[in-house]
This record gives sequence, C-alpha cells and structure tokens, in this order.
Amino acid sequence: MARTTKVTDVRGAGWTPWLYLAPALVVLAGLLVYPIYQLGLISFLEYTQAQVSGGEPTTFRGLDNYRELLADEQFWSVLGATVVFAAACVLCTLAVGCALAVLLTRIRAVPRTLLMLASLGAWATPAITGSTVWVFLFDADFGPANKLLGLEDYSWTYGRYSAFALVLFAVVWCSFPFVMVTMYAGIRAIPSEVLEAASLDGASTWRIWRSVMAPMLRPILAVVTIQSIIWDFKVFTQIYVMTGGGGIAGQNLVLNVYAYQKAFASSQYSLGSAIGVVMLLILLAVTLVYLRIIRRKGEEL
Amino acid sequence: MKLSTRLTTTLSALLLAGLTATATGCAPSTSDNRGDGTDRKTGTLRVWLFQEVNNKPKAAIVDKAVKAFTARHEGVKVDVRYIPVESRAERMKAAFNDPASAPDLVEYGNTDTAGYVRDGGLADVTEEFDAWDEAKDTDGTARASVTVDGKVYGAPLFVGVRALYYRTDVFDDLGLKPPRTLKEVADTARRIRAERPDLYGLAVGGAYTYGAMPFVWAHGGDIATERDGKFRAAVDSPASRAGITAYTDLFGKDNCPASRCARMGGNDTVEAFAAGKAGMAIAGDFSRQAVEAGGVKGKYAVVPLPGVRSGEIAPAFAGGNNLGVLRSTSHRTLAVELMRELAGKQTQRELFEAMGFLPTFDDVREEVAADEPFVEPFVRTLQAGARFVPATPAWGQIDAGQVLPTMFQEIASGRKDVDTASADAAHRMNDTFTKTAS
Amino acid sequence: MIRRPWRLAAEVTALLVAVVVAFPLYWMALSAFKPAGEVQSTEPRPWTLSPTLDSFRRVFEQQDLGRYFLNSLLVAGTVVLASALIAFLAATAVTRFRFRFRTTLLIMFLVAQMVPIEALTIPMFFLMRDAGLLNTLGSLVLPHLAFSLPFAIWMLRGFVRAVPESLEEQAYLDGASRTRFLWQILFPLVFPGLTAVSVFSFISTWNDFLFAKSFIISATENSTLPMALLVFFDTDTPDWGGVMAASTVMTIPVLVFFVLVQRRLVSGLGGAVKD
Repeated sequence: MARTTKVTDVRGAGWTPWLYLAPALVVLAGLLVYPIYQLGLISFLEYTQAQVSGGEPTTFRGLDNYRELLADEQFWSVLGATVVFAAACVLCTLAVGCALAVLLTRIRAVPRTLLMLASLGAWATPAITGSTVWVFLFDADFGPANKLLGLEDYSWTYGRYSAFALVLFAVVWCSFPFVMVTMYAGIRAIPSEVLEAASLDGASTWRIWRSVMAPMLRPILAVVTIQSIIWDFKVFTQIYVMTGGGGIAGQNLVLNVYAYQKAFASSQYSLGSAIGVVMLLILLAVTLVYLRIIRRKGEEL
Repeated sequence: MKLSTRLTTTLSALLLAGLTATATGCAPSTSDNRGDGTDRKTGTLRVWLFQEVNNKPKAAIVDKAVKAFTARHEGVKVDVRYIPVESRAERMKAAFNDPASAPDLVEYGNTDTAGYVRDGGLADVTEEFDAWDEAKDTDGTARASVTVDGKVYGAPLFVGVRALYYRTDVFDDLGLKPPRTLKEVADTARRIRAERPDLYGLAVGGAYTYGAMPFVWAHGGDIATERDGKFRAAVDSPASRAGITAYTDLFGKDNCPASRCARMGGNDTVEAFAAGKAGMAIAGDFSRQAVEAGGVKGKYAVVPLPGVRSGEIAPAFAGGNNLGVLRSTSHRTLAVELMRELAGKQTQRELFEAMGFLPTFDDVREEVAADEPFVEPFVRTLQAGARFVPATPAWGQIDAGQVLPTMFQEIASGRKDVDTASADAAHRMNDTFTKTAS
Repeated sequence: MIRRPWRLAAEVTALLVAVVVAFPLYWMALSAFKPAGEVQSTEPRPWTLSPTLDSFRRVFEQQDLGRYFLNSLLVAGTVVLASALIAFLAATAVTRFRFRFRTTLLIMFLVAQMVPIEALTIPMFFLMRDAGLLNTLGSLVLPHLAFSLPFAIWMLRGFVRAVPESLEEQAYLDGASRTRFLWQILFPLVFPGLTAVSVFSFISTWNDFLFAKSFIISATENSTLPMALLVFFDTDTPDWGGVMAASTVMTIPVLVFFVLVQRRLVSGLGGAVKD
C-alpha cells in the first residue's frame, strides 16, 4: 500500500461519503435548491398576486424584470446604501470583535467571565427584541441614551445617517460576540511555546502579532469575515423594526427590505425575486474576490 | 481546478439549467381558486374577522348572529377565527394561494377591495347584494367601497370617518374657539404651540395619509381622476399642491416639529393626543376608546374638520371594513347568507352600541346618531360627502409602495419642495396605473 | 509577561464594555417590571422603586400562550436535533473522504448560506402547500432545517478534521466497523462542535416570525410564540411596558440555552477553526 496515512482513501471511499451525505442532500435539494430554482424562474416572469391566485395567466418576460429594476433610480440608491452599510457593519463588527478577543486573553478570569456573559447575552437576544430595545433606548422622549449623552429631544430616526448609525449599533451589538468568541478561541489555540519562543527572540508585541499570530489566525479571520459579510449584507429585521420598514421616505431601505416590500407589500413577486437574485450574485462576487485575496498557495476548502 | 473557476462553472451551470427549464415551459406554482364549483348546503363555514383591541363585545355579538344563522340551517357549523390586523396581508395572500386553508367569509379593510379583486380572491356577489332588501339603504360611499368596475364584492360592515378632536380645557384657558376654516385650524394650532410649548398644536404625521387627504380634497385637489376607466394622478395639480402645502406647512417648530412628526402615522398622532401632548388631532370615530383610555378623558370635544371657507366641511376619507365571500368557497349560498346576517342592520346596530362602529345604512346611522351625541360630528362629515381612494387595483400597489406617505415625508422633512415631490409622486402613480391597466 | 498597570487598565476596560453590552438587556428587563407611568416617563431612571408584574400579566393573558411556547420549543428542538445529526454525517463525508464533486459541494454549501431567506418565502409557500404541510408545525421545521444545514456543515468540518486520523486507523485495526467508529468514537469527540452549531440553528428558528406568519394560516393552534408576541411589536402600539415584557419572555429561553451550552460553545468554536 502506497499511502497508509490516508486511511479513508485506502478503504476506498466508494459510496460511503454519498451515503453520509444523502440526508443532507435530500433536504437541501428539496427545500433549498428547488425553491432557489423557482426564485430564479419567477424573476423571468410576470408574476404578481393575480398570477399566483390564477386571476391572470403567467407570462414570460425574459429579462424585463431586470431591465425594469436596473432602470429604477431607487434600486441603485438602495443598492449603494446596502453596500456601504453592510461594509460599515462588517468592519465595525470585526474591529470590535477582534479587539475584545485580544482583550480577553490579557485579563483574569472574573472580568473575562463577565464580559463573556454579557456578550453571550447580546448574542442570544432575538433580533426583533434587540432592535426594539435599541429603538427604545434611543427614543427621543423616553429613552435614557439621549439623557446620558446630553442630547435632549434628538430624534435618531429622523436623519438618514443617524438612523443608519443607530441600526449599526444594534447590528454590531448582536453580531460582535460571534467574532469575539471565535477569535478568542483561535488565539487560545495558538501553542504557547510558539509565542514564548518569539518573545525570547526579543520580538515586540506588535511583531509577534504581525508575524506569528496573524498568519495563524488568518483562516479563522477568513471564516468570520465571510460569515459577517453574508449576514450583514442580508440584514433585515433590524432595519425593518428600527426604521419602521425603511425609514422616512424610504431613506433607510436596504436591498433585503426593499425586496420584501416589492414582493409582499406590492405583490410584485417577480421584481422581488429579481432583487433576491441580484443580492445572491453580489454576495457571490464579494465572497469570491475575498476568497481569492486570502487564498494561500495549496490551501483547500 | 481553481476555486474561482469552479465557482463560475457551478454558477453558469445553474443559470443555464434555469434558463432551459424556463424555455421548456416549466412554470412555477399557481393556484386555481375558482373553487370546485360546488355549493354545499351543509358542513362548516369558516369565517375570519379582525381581532380588535378589546374583542370580547364583538365576539359576543358575532356569536349571537351566528347562533341565529345556524338555527335556521340544519347541519351547518360556523367556525369564526379572529386574526390580528397586522398579519392580514400574509394571511389573505396565503388564503388566496391555498384554497384548502382559506375561509369562506372574511372581513377586510375597504382600501384593500380593488387589490383583492384583482388578485382573484373575492367572489362577485352583485346579484345577491341587489336582491337583498336591506341593501337599498346602504349609503353611496359605502357601496362604492365594495364596488370595482360596477360589480359588488361584498357587503359594507361599518364606515370609519375622521374629524377634528380638540382639548376643551386648553381651548378654554387660551380663549380659543373651534376653528371654522382650515386656515383657522393652522392659526389655532400655532397659538396653542406658542402658549403651551410642550404641546403640539395639531398633531400631524408624515405617514398619516388619511389625515392629510382632507386638506387636499378641501382645496379641490384629488389623488387621481378617472376618465373612460383610465386613472391619472392628480396630486400634482395646482389645487392638490395648495392642499399639500397647507398640510405640510404644519410640520415645523411652531406646531409639530418635523424631526418628530415626519415619521408619525395616524395612530401616533392619536396617541399623542390621548397622552395629552397635543391640542388637536384628526382622529376617527373608532379612536374614541383609545382617546378615552388616555389622560384626556372628559377634556376633549369633536367637530368636523372645516373646509377652506367658513361653513364648509373638508371631505373626509371614508374608511371602514367590509365582509366578502371568497371565490374559492364551496358554500357560496350559505356564505352569502351569513354575510347578510353579519353585515345586516340588526348586527350593525349592535356593533355600534358595543364597539362604536358607524353603521353603513343611512337609516340605521341616523337612528343611532340621535341617541349618541358623540357621533354627530362624524355623521355630519359623512353627509357632507366623504371620499374614497381610487377604485382601481393599482391603488393597492400605490398604497403598499407608500407613494403618498413618501411624498408628505419628503416635503415635511425639507428634502424636496412641494412641486418636485408631488410631481415625483404623480409620476410613480401614473407608472402603476399604466402598468396595471395593460 | 504583561505588566500590572496594563492588565488593570485592560480589566477596567473589559468591565466597562461588559456594562455597555449588558445595558440594553438590563433596560429591557427593568422596563418590563416598571409600572406604566415610569416606563413612558420623560425622566427615565435606571431603577424602579415599585416593580410590578402588570406588563407580564398582559403578555400572559394572551390566549393559548403556553401552547405557542410549546410549539416554538418543539419546532426549535426538532430543528436543532435533526440538523445536528444530518450535518454531522455530511461534515464527516466532506472532510474524511476524497471523492469527485467534493469541492463543488462545499462551494454549494457556502453559496446556500447567501440566499436571502425572505425572498424564498413565496416558492417555499407553494412547496409546503403541494406537500400538504401548510398549517402544520412541519411547515416550520423543514424550511428552518434547510436554512440551518449549510452553515452547520460548514462549521462542523473543522471539528471532524481535528480528530486525528491515527485514531480512525487504530479503531479499524481494533476491528471496529465504520458505523461503530462513526457513532461511538467520532460522534462524542465532535459533540462540543455540535453544541456550538446548535446555538445557531436554535436562535434562527426560535426568532422566526416570517414563516410562522406565512405558513400557519388557518390553524391558529399551531402558531408559535413570536406570533403571539407580535401583537406587542406593532409599531403603532406605544405600550412599551408590554413590548419589553414580551421581549423578556422571548429572550429568556434563548439565554437559558446559551448559559447551558456556554462552556462547550467557547471550546467548541475553538475547535471549529483549528486547522
């Protein structure tokens, strides 16, 4: 036998992996791939409630839905807002999460446990309740935040940027714990001998971070970054709840909420689907670019 | 294979599969809810009604009417469910899409009529409605609210109409009199705000379309006009713009600061009034309970919202709910009969007594108004001529697309001037009118 | 290694951050216990001298609340168990075997996470209708299972990979069958990872109100907790006390779940990312 290290290979994979994969594939094919296929299909049709309930025949529109979407000024402004907002959320979440992860490794057990518990609490809070609480905290009349900040009567949801900022707080609040806990676990997993050896060589803290820890943490960072991008780009509940479905005159709309309003409120399922497809493609492109940037030679999935 | 290449291949394969499938005509699901054509005379009738904040009195009256109905029909059971208003959109859509879980009879907001009809959800009951002896007393606006293209799709259950609530204690203190013109409304509002800086003069909301429209109608403007069955937006006409200006001028530090009021909807303004934070508010007959529950009980009165000239009443929006039979029902005759029972004069009379819902029959309304002075200003407003949203399926989309609230909010918050905002709104509306007409 | 004043400063910072992070939760619980007059007071105070259960009473007066609660637990529990098992098998397949289309599958699992769930509600609705599942709890379990799986598989790979191959070799040399190895050796070793993954499935399922709103149409007895509490979240209702009490009721079960799995979660996520 040539390769004894790869036991599984030797035993001949054959059908076994497919057997193990079968339940997952059945579920995903039926409940995810098929609906996604339908989503794509609907985006090429004229498909409003009238078609759905059989009031009017379904017609094929080709790329007309996409054309209509791309010609819509609001779509572009919503798209721009979504990209910028998601990027801001991802950056803030990563920065806060990583900083706190490093902080966690530098402190004793009691403060560490307290910070950990508080973060888990934020993580555990359902998005709808979290959003509501944040709105309440910053309520112009009854919220304590304005009192603390000395901003009497300031309405956060009125201005476009302040409303986005408020939503950003809430998003970062509930999503940084994932980054923090994961990064913390990652840092802890670095063998202490490696770090000791480096510091014996007289490397500065910054240098140790740059040349020893960062490379070892890169795969973890990749995972949390991709996850954050995926989650923040699709943010829905926070915007929907905190800005009352998109803010004054739709100023705080993001793509997901926009798609929902098109699909549900206006029953224009085909336009909503087209937006969904566009979102999917953008996410794919972003992730692809990102994967290429971080990909090391020979690294595999 | 490189990661990126793989990804691209996978993707293009998926896309290709999608396109070919489309070309071969594999259409997505639709549902045929014309019903199976049967009209059974026994079995269970399913009814969905809206859940009110205090639902018990409503349920008691409905139970009584249902009992009378089942007593007349052997082997018929009625299953009434109360659904929260805020989940109605999803539920109604689900009901149209899955006749198996759909009810036979539903309560629905009258602004949804045209949209539901276009969706193919409601049954045309013109014949049965006209054959109903009580229907001749139905008032014109109420009838219009169940009518699309000349066909009747249900029976009006109650009308809701808005008028001007004001604080009697504040008015007495400041020596103010109920305003007689819209201009006086604005002046009074500013007086109140100037003298009592912790109060809004008149609570207005950027998302409160039905509070804003009377200003537009009073100035001779309109949402849209119909000609030969075709609708055209009218919000950018000079008269409409005058009305829009009159309303949006009320957003400001001297009455209702835009930073607070631009995002408010109808209920927010009512709530502000009920909490004692406003000198006046435009609220419905149905808001009485909410106002009484707040801190201003016994300290308010109601007058019709005045028009441009003294003695006029600004046309109000005729809101309210209807009952309709679903097209997918397999108990059509029974459902129609139950509809008549629940929307009939007797039930409406009782609903008024218990819930304050204004009857849709002229005679019943006059009769109850005589006993209950509170409804007098609302009945007068109705008699002066209430208005309704454009009776076209496009309205559902315009409403859901928040075209009008967006326009009012844009102006109130100073993002756009009246001309630009109303022109944009008109443009979006005309787009929708043309698209839905084709 | 770290000098004392620095550590002290770090600890003070950590405590301050903890306070800020916990504050919204504290305020939520506090407002739920405040009497109505104090919740909507223009002079908000961070304590209350007259705590009351009035707001909670309004929440619990909701008809059938207990039933909705159980429904929610049942749905979330089923999704957690099923997704853990299925994902475990799938993760084993993609990490411990080499076969054709492996990378393609992995990419598909990643792509699957990018689908905006909200946009899928309509196709999902028809699927559930055609399967005759509308109005049943199954119509909530299945979609959530599908949405939880890709992430679960993606995260679990790290744990399965972390189990040394020598262990597997040894097991087979000792005469263990593949099934025995899978369930009696690999499964217990991967268990912490499964816990970490369960957290995600649990949260997303527990929080859902979109599917509950769309798929449970006529059978109100199969509604879930968020549906009963949604009444309080109506933006037009200014009953902040009720909203906060409802939020507290909804958050507590998740918090309990988190505290239960806390240790495993931290060690678990560490495993997920080990190379």
